[in-house]
Amino acid sequence: MQLKNVIESPCGLRYMLDRLDLQSGFARRWLLDSPMMTREEDIRASYDVLHRFRDFIDREDKTYIDTLQFRLQGLKDIRTTIKNLSQKSTLDDIELFEVKHLAILATDVARLLQEHGMDNVVVIPALDKVISILDPDGMKIATFYIYDSYCAQLKDLRAAMRQHPEQQDDLLLQANELEEGVRRDLSLELHPFATAIEQAQIALAQIDVCLAKAIQMRQMGLTFPAFARDGISRYGAMFHPLVKESLVEHGREFQPVDIAFGQQPTLITGANMGGKTVVLKTLTLCQLLFQFGFGIPAATAEIAVRDEIYFCIGDEQSVEKGLSSFAAEMKNIDAVIQASRKNKKILALIDEPARTTNPTEGAALVSALLRVLASKDMSLVMTTHYDIESGDARCLRVKGFENGSMDYQLVEVQDGEVPHEALNIAQSLGIDREWIDMAREQLEASISRENDKH
Amino acid sequence: MLPFIDEILRYDSLSIVGLEKNTGKTECLKYVLDRLPVQQKRIAVTSIGIDGETVDQVTRTQKPEIVLREGMYFGTSEAHYRQRRLVSELIDVSDESTSLGRVVTAKAVTGGKILLSGPSSASGLKRWMGEMHRKDIDLVIIDGALSRLSSASPAVSQSMILATGAAYSANIPTLVSKTAHVVDLVNLELTSEDKIKMLLPLEKGVWFIDKQGNLNSLDSVTSLSKDIHFEGMENCETLYVAGALVDAFLEKVRKNKNLKQVELVVRDFTKFFVTPQQFRLFLKAGGRMRVLQKSKLIAVTVNPTSPSGYVLDSDTLCGKLSEAIGLPVYDLLKNKD
Repeated sequence: MQLKNVIESPCGLRYMLDRLDLQSGFARRWLLDSPMMTREEDIRASYDVLHRFRDFIDREDKTYIDTLQFRLQGLKDIRTTIKNLSQKSTLDDIELFEVKHLAILATDVARLLQEHGMDNVVVIPALDKVISILDPDGMKIATFYIYDSYCAQLKDLRAAMRQHPEQQDDLLLQANELEEGVRRDLSLELHPFATAIEQAQIALAQIDVCLAKAIQMRQMGLTFPAFARDGISRYGAMFHPLVKESLVEHGREFQPVDIAFGQQPTLITGANMGGKTVVLKTLTLCQLLFQFGFGIPAATAEIAVRDEIYFCIGDEQSVEKGLSSFAAEMKNIDAVIQASRKNKKILALIDEPARTTNPTEGAALVSALLRVLASKDMSLVMTTHYDIESGDARCLRVKGFENGSMDYQLVEVQDGEVPHEALNIAQSLGIDREWIDMAREQLEASISRENDKH
Repeated sequence: MLPFIDEILRYDSLSIVGLEKNTGKTECLKYVLDRLPVQQKRIAVTSIGIDGETVDQVTRTQKPEIVLREGMYFGTSEAHYRQRRLVSELIDVSDESTSLGRVVTAKAVTGGKILLSGPSSASGLKRWMGEMHRKDIDLVIIDGALSRLSSASPAVSQSMILATGAAYSANIPTLVSKTAHVVDLVNLELTSEDKIKMLLPLEKGVWFIDKQGNLNSLDSVTSLSKDIHFEGMENCETLYVAGALVDAFLEKVRKNKNLKQVELVVRDFTKFFVTPQQFRLFLKAGGRMRVLQKSKLIAVTVNPTSPSGYVLDSDTLCGKLSEAIGLPVYDLLKNKD
């Protein structure tokens, strides 16, 4: 799975990507094409590099970082050219220019990094030989044409062109043939460097991405994660950057949440507007950020590596495709169950399953789902409004509505009994009194009927 | 050297625009390039849009390639760069993509022919020009899009040459009056400096400044409403139209008794979509018309031959047009001999 496959995940990954200060389109494409890491050593290696860049931007002067980023704006996507080169095709002037441009850029960036103790953090292959092939006069500037010094005959022809403009068309024809010969020779001479050039291009993209990630970590207050040893992920003061930003815009504050989950299924209950969905979104976001090597939005994070991540939330896109919301949801959850039968470490985050159907069947579906998934070796976090048997699940509850304001903290409770705060909350929202009062009467009547029965 | 070559060098950018296809725009560009002092000035040339076909795609008449001189810089598409008939050194390959590939910038190492097709949008063109000026280019010349005056917008280039001719109208009085109308718009005077400062950032909507100098937005005025009516109308001193100015609006302003003496400000001449009749009626009624940005119109050139083969008398045409616009008018093909 590549980053581009999950970029539109409703967890808000796109927001993070949109706020990466990337300098080149190529770096963005490279990042979007990067695979989700599922091996601890890969993730560790990627964070080791990011660590170096994080220290680097803290330590170095801003003008120097700006210079480096400005240089990286010159990074172009020349994959087609590199492919032609590796296939021994003859490159044209534009392609040769691209190769020279990249070689000079790579050399400049390598030097800039080396001067600041960042050599070999990301290895940029040396391309001095490539530059010297394409810069026969040693001008050290990133412009290119088939220079006179490549071919004495060409030089004479061009001199003749200047002296006899009336013969230009004839002379050009002859010159073109010579130039083509030079291009063929140059392309063959450059052919052995195709791999090094490709690596240099990727290295520059990686540097662009690492710088952007490091800057984002500082700007958003993200943290480096540790690896969970016991299969239990633990977050301290976790936040969702997008939700936080929109709250701040409205002059409000985001209340960070502490949460741990892992071996046992975890059931989150809580009042409406208690932030249950936000918790699930944030957990999904953090897991994806972790496995793509980004900073994590929390004060502390210990995260377990997963093979597959499932985030099931009322999916409006499927509704647009013509599936009913119930059908879409059932299919999504079914995919989780099928995946859980394979021998993979999966994380499933399921938001209020079966919420769109009647409460009797809905509760039955949810409670059965919990039992089915609990029997599998997987990590599960689920939210619900239904009163269900929680079995072996750990139950967390949003503290909820207290003294007129919402406390978003999660507290561990013994069973999954859901709080009955919907009417209070509706009332605090200033919803029509007649409606709410009538609902309250009806609720009390049904409770007393229940009590009479017993 | 014709006098306008000297004048061109006073500005850092020049657009050459034709009022119609085959009004001699490309000839005019050729003429200018042949005469610029390439040894003393660093000159870059490009074109906006796909404008470099060897054969004009619409009228099927032959379109000349541009002849560049040694040392000139140029911006064209990858496709046309590959067809170049000169030796040139690549300076840059941009990310800007056109239907003919990316825009490349190069410097002519020998003189020779090239088809021009530069950035395809005004914003792309502006970026390219900025890049050129950063590379110490003294003068950027833009081969403007045919019958699209927007490429000569003062927001893009400081000066312009207008090419007109029999292709625009085959009747001398009509040709003169239609061309004079465009020249009148290009030559509209700038409004006062404080107003320019106040209005330039406003890119949308209709605004008015009252006699006390306060700026007000005029949201309620739409082109659908029958006449203009707004609060503070009696006190309105300046009316600013940030977008396109059309006949209907101009007529409503003219017919409004409160706005008789108003100064109507439009962004620049490319935003005018009014007929000469409405324009004249407005001025006659006592209204004043001003702009925020202005290009210097350096010259008007004519091509007396229409693509259908009809030929107007060059001397009569130049004389009548010059009289109408108060500027010298050149027939470049004739003057060449």
